[in-house]
Amino acid sequence: MAFDNKERDELRRKFHEYAQSRERSLRDDLVTAHMGLAEYLARRFTNRGEPLDDLVQVAALGLLKAVDRFDPERGLEFSTYATPTIVGELKRHFRDKGWAVRVPRRVQELHLRLGSVVSQLSQELGRSPTIGEIAQSAAVSEEEVLEAIEAGHAYRFTSLDAPSGNDDEMSLSAELGSEDQGLIDSEHRVTLSPLIAQFPPRERMILHLRFFEGLTQSEIAGRLGISQMHVSRLLARALAQLRNQAEDDS
Amino acid sequence: MASGEVRLEVPAAPEFLRISRIMAAGVASRVGFTLDEVEDLRIAIDEVCFSMVGARGRTGTIALRYLLDADELAVEGTGRFSDGLGNAPVVSALSKQILAAVVDECELSAGEEGPRFRLVKRHRPA
Repeated sequence: MAFDNKERDELRRKFHEYAQSRERSLRDDLVTAHMGLAEYLARRFTNRGEPLDDLVQVAALGLLKAVDRFDPERGLEFSTYATPTIVGELKRHFRDKGWAVRVPRRVQELHLRLGSVVSQLSQELGRSPTIGEIAQSAAVSEEEVLEAIEAGHAYRFTSLDAPSGNDDEMSLSAELGSEDQGLIDSEHRVTLSPLIAQFPPRERMILHLRFFEGLTQSEIAGRLGISQMHVSRLLARALAQLRNQAEDDS
Repeated sequence: MASGEVRLEVPAAPEFLRISRIMAAGVASRVGFTLDEVEDLRIAIDEVCFSMVGARGRTGTIALRYLLDADELAVEGTGRFSDGLGNAPVVSALSKQILAAVVDECELSAGEEGPRFRLVKRHRPA
């Protein structure tokens, strides 16, 4: 990613111009010209179980911030200025993910398969199945079932703006009766912290039903018409987000 | 029904919460807990241990005892911290609400080297 003198002068000129004009196309040019640096730094974080593509995205975000904040008047080389910003962004990415771990494909697949196994068993038994029953029905060991359930908790950090579900995006009004909605709204005003109020309606509903109304996960699954494994994932994700939020505030 | 005790001591860092959770789920499935109950226990362990170590972890360990009895599982945790950051449990109102919803009993107290907890989850045969 070394530049020759001519390229260097050209970039310097663009930095000066961008500092004045804040022209978007100039910014894009500058980011593109330095993507090599972002990729180089992202590569140094690849032994931590994250795909390189994701890391390059994160590094590119850091690069963008650096381009925006760089002051060419101060005579510093851009790469000298940008490196700590990009590395900082990468480190923050890992910190935000906290305890998340990479889940092998085999476990991911079993996790997804268990969604329907659990739903079917719950219906047949009229209660939540035991781990042994799930293992037998899925023809795997109890340990494999436990591992697959845990996979739903080994959750990747996503922003609060992320869509509330992934396998079934139905609108909340279709899921809830109007009295439910009224109850939830009034309860929210009294009991729920502003942290919870920021969640999308579905997560808010699940948090409320589980922790304030005392419904079990399988009861919530039945009420919302989604699988229990999905309820479990959404709960785990919401709890992790609440923590992240509390950390950021402290 | 099986009874007995399983012990685990993990570094006081968030990345080890997973092991505490998996152990809880493994032990709970031994005593025939339902998926709902296993999930609740897992959430409880995660919540209470996270309240002890925080996102940045602490210097020391958490010693966990999983006590199996007919139809119930008690988990006792003892923080053994050497960072001088205090031994009193720090639990948000929301965490308390979450714990109250998922386990039958939960006590938190200050121990000699760090916070302690004891929680109990009972199996309810349908």
